[in-house]
Amino acid sequence: MHVRFRETSLKDPLFMMGIGLAVLFMAISLLGPFLAPFDPWDMSFVPISPPSETHYLGVNDGGQDIFSELLYAVRNTMLFGFISAFAALGIGVILGASAGWFGGFVDMIVMRIGDVLLAIPAIMILIFAAAFFRPTPWALALILAGFMWPTISKGIRAQTLSLRQSLHVRAAVQMGGGGFYIIRRHLIPEMFPLYLIGLAAKAKMAMFMEASLGFLGLLDPTRKSLGLMINYALNFYYMDVWWNWLMPPILCLSLLIVSVTFLAISLEKVLDPRLMAALDGRAP
Amino acid sequence: MISLSKYRHSRHMALVAAFCLAALAMVYLSYALPRLLPGDFVTAMYGSSQVTLSEAQEAELRAYYTHDRGFGSFIIRLACLDWGYSYAFLSPVSQLFFDALPWTLLLVGLAHLISLVVGFFAGVEVAWRRSTFLERGMVSGMTMLEGVPEISTGVLLLLIFSLNLGWFPSAGAEIAYADLSLCERFAGMIHHLVLPLATLVLAYLPGNFLLTRNSMIMVIKAQYMITARAKGLPPFRVRYAHGARNALLPLVTRFGLRLAFMITGALVVERIYAYPGLGTLLFNAIQARDLPVIQGVVLISSLMVLAVILALEFVYRIIDPRIGHARAF
Repeated sequence: MHVRFRETSLKDPLFMMGIGLAVLFMAISLLGPFLAPFDPWDMSFVPISPPSETHYLGVNDGGQDIFSELLYAVRNTMLFGFISAFAALGIGVILGASAGWFGGFVDMIVMRIGDVLLAIPAIMILIFAAAFFRPTPWALALILAGFMWPTISKGIRAQTLSLRQSLHVRAAVQMGGGGFYIIRRHLIPEMFPLYLIGLAAKAKMAMFMEASLGFLGLLDPTRKSLGLMINYALNFYYMDVWWNWLMPPILCLSLLIVSVTFLAISLEKVLDPRLMAALDGRAP
Repeated sequence: MISLSKYRHSRHMALVAAFCLAALAMVYLSYALPRLLPGDFVTAMYGSSQVTLSEAQEAELRAYYTHDRGFGSFIIRLACLDWGYSYAFLSPVSQLFFDALPWTLLLVGLAHLISLVVGFFAGVEVAWRRSTFLERGMVSGMTMLEGVPEISTGVLLLLIFSLNLGWFPSAGAEIAYADLSLCERFAGMIHHLVLPLATLVLAYLPGNFLLTRNSMIMVIKAQYMITARAKGLPPFRVRYAHGARNALLPLVTRFGLRLAFMITGALVVERIYAYPGLGTLLFNAIQARDLPVIQGVVLISSLMVLAVILALEFVYRIIDPRIGHARAF
């Protein structure tokens, strides 16, 4: 797979906006604890006070500084999304490449399991697990990854099937390379651009899930999360505090997911040769 | 020909088998997981109370409340709509479920219908008018909207149209006065439905629109489209009978896959507008830690999703006869 990154992606406004927002949020989530003026669990301030010099976004009903809460929440939501997406990517790539390379029985088993998993609504399993066992968010992220890998592995498998025929892979087979060696040295590095699409798409899904679970009250209530903040703030929406309490987490969540969506769509445009040919009128 | 139809038949069976397996896995999980928990309702209820139970009393209470029987009888009770008894709402789970189900079906079904129809026709028309101002604007707008989650649109619409402008009610699904005429009740239902419906349509529409537009752009370039135009068919017929029918396929095939993840949005939207559907029931059950209701709602609604996806598999076999012939993998 060959990508003329400089000619295509850098000229795409969608990609540039997505990457800009993503870098911004990445910086916020990495620097969050240093930027936060207060400890987000400190409940010693005057509850429901409006924004001021010391509290940029005011104080919530529990007497906690909303700005500090927001910084920690963005960090947690992003971390959840990335852990889940990376786990799904890892499983999906390994299983997809194996299914495509070995074919036959392995292929059938992997793809059938994938079909079954795709049909099950993941949120239901997550609600079930969260309500009964109250696992840590990381366990939930991994459970979610267990439901997201099949779409990745389908794409990887299809690409593997076409790569099998390429000259360098056939040469490697001629020289006696084993299956795992070829998957590790030839297939997995070659398909790198596909991982970016998968990662962006799954990170979007996982962040949305995290916000929804938090919103439904299924995550640890002491852990800061954008969904949880929206959930608490929504109880006071009729008061005059919605613009400094309810809006910031909503804006952050929307921009976060918008940026990942932009990245996913622009990468897909560049990397899907059929779509590229149709959209730009060039030969694939 | 005989072998072909036989092959197609076996594909059908494999598919049905996969879905039955998924359904069975769901049922088994919801049977087995609660049994892995330490403690149960009896310890939760009497653990912190003044009453000290003797061993025999505890066993009796446990037998009374938990009905712990095997997996076979669990399935039978499931089929007989006997899904347990809610501790928090003090009524059978099946009754709560069927009270809430019509509202969810109304909301989610209507949202899917509107967004499918509007997204499809808008996508086809926009793809037909390539590289016009309208196309660029629509595509960028929809791409932007695609990224905004239901939580955000829902809360924003609630703040603007319900709180600030006061055009629509902020909670509930109907006006519960007995002396209203049928027409007034119906108007009240629609009045309550507008905001949640708009939120869900805004969430579902961009995906349908972009998918249709992308596949239609590829269809337009196909040879048979040139043939159809060369035959002198009217543009409308070329666009819909020859073009759009082929652009419909990805929409239907991807619908099933997306459905399993789209459920999340419906749960959240119902909670935002306090719409009395399954999402709100589930939310209230989670708040009260009412495990039988959570278990019932989760299990039955996932089984319903599975049934819808399976039905779609057969629908798109009808829309696209080629799929029946395609190799499974």
